[in-house]
Amino acid sequence: MKKTILQAFILLSMAAGIYLLISRVDWMKLFRVEKMTDALEQKLGDVVWAGMEEQAIEEGKEYDRVDSLVTAICKSNGFERKKIKLHIMGDSEVNAFALPDRHMVVHTGLINAVHNNDELSGVLAHEIAHMELSHVMKKLLKQMGYTLLISITTGEAGGGAIKELLGMLSSTAYDRKLEKDADIKAIEYLKKAGISPNGFADFLYRLGEKDGSLGSLSWISTHPDSKERAKYIRDEAGQ
Amino acid sequence: MAIDCTGIVKLVLEHLQGSIKMSSTFIYHPTESEAEKASNSYLMSLIAIMVGFPLPIINLMATLFFYIANRKSTYFVRWHCIQALLSQLSLFVINTIGFWWTVSVLVREDEHVSNPYLAYIITVFVVNIFELAITISAAIKTRKGQHVSWWFYGPLTQMMCKP
Repeated sequence: MKKTILQAFILLSMAAGIYLLISRVDWMKLFRVEKMTDALEQKLGDVVWAGMEEQAIEEGKEYDRVDSLVTAICKSNGFERKKIKLHIMGDSEVNAFALPDRHMVVHTGLINAVHNNDELSGVLAHEIAHMELSHVMKKLLKQMGYTLLISITTGEAGGGAIKELLGMLSSTAYDRKLEKDADIKAIEYLKKAGISPNGFADFLYRLGEKDGSLGSLSWISTHPDSKERAKYIRDEAGQ
Repeated sequence: MAIDCTGIVKLVLEHLQGSIKMSSTFIYHPTESEAEKASNSYLMSLIAIMVGFPLPIINLMATLFFYIANRKSTYFVRWHCIQALLSQLSLFVINTIGFWWTVSVLVREDEHVSNPYLAYIITVFVVNIFELAITISAAIKTRKGQHVSWWFYGPLTQMMCKP
């Protein structure tokens, strides 16, 4: 009995030893995990954006307005403005979203819905935060994970799942925690840029009231409760 | 400080070689039918790997059902069914951790591919390959009517299985 217990102990120690030995190797570097993720992000960004490109407005008054606000936030926070690929889309839906490889899409519906630049800056800072915190790829990879698990368990895969996956990206539906993280980060960016976060809170509050004049509220329908967000943004802004 | 691993590696290799060491101390010589059944108990886990991948429970279930079906069989058959079952049980624990870690990497927002995760998956792979090799070896030897007692699992089986 004692011998068997000792053997069990040796066996467990050996397994732990093998694991410790193997974990000393930098597998992330060896398998180039980060480089592969970056390359994947770039390819996905190109693929997704290619499907939307036709509706894009790459110049004009609206583009210049959003561009100047994004540039101001980037400059104050030390981000490279060139890395953000800004696109304005002619769509009445109140929506803005980030795509892989730092594509930022803003609908004209959103630009028309805001009362001032502070409100618009709030939404832009929120989307920049999603990019800076790598939420886009996190969300995408998790969605891919779910799709993979479904295809393993059901034995089905293919176009339908991929289409659904890409649809998820424009829906701006992030996890509640990620949304809050992006909101808090956005407040930080706005403060550094000398913009009052209260504008962002006002806009969210108005969206929470579901103001009929705002039209289709895609941006808000996929986000956590707006009034609650407006409240913690005001609280954070006051600190 | 440089550590001389040669002695440790040698010791480990000796243990590994010893783990599939054939024992000639079985109390009787099994018949052809017994040898076939005992060999099948090891083959069960191999077939289940192909069918059930990546779900780790499948091989355990296969060896468990095979043991239940043969629990009233002869001592030689029961002995090898239990040894196969015990080895699958420990493999199940290791593989289940790997499986759920992978699921959490795939679906959880706060879990990502990391060095400890990759190291664990590689360890699981190494352990499974080793297990596969000794299982094939045991299946071949028991088919020939030879008794195979694995290091640790053999004495444990001996305690659980009486003539």
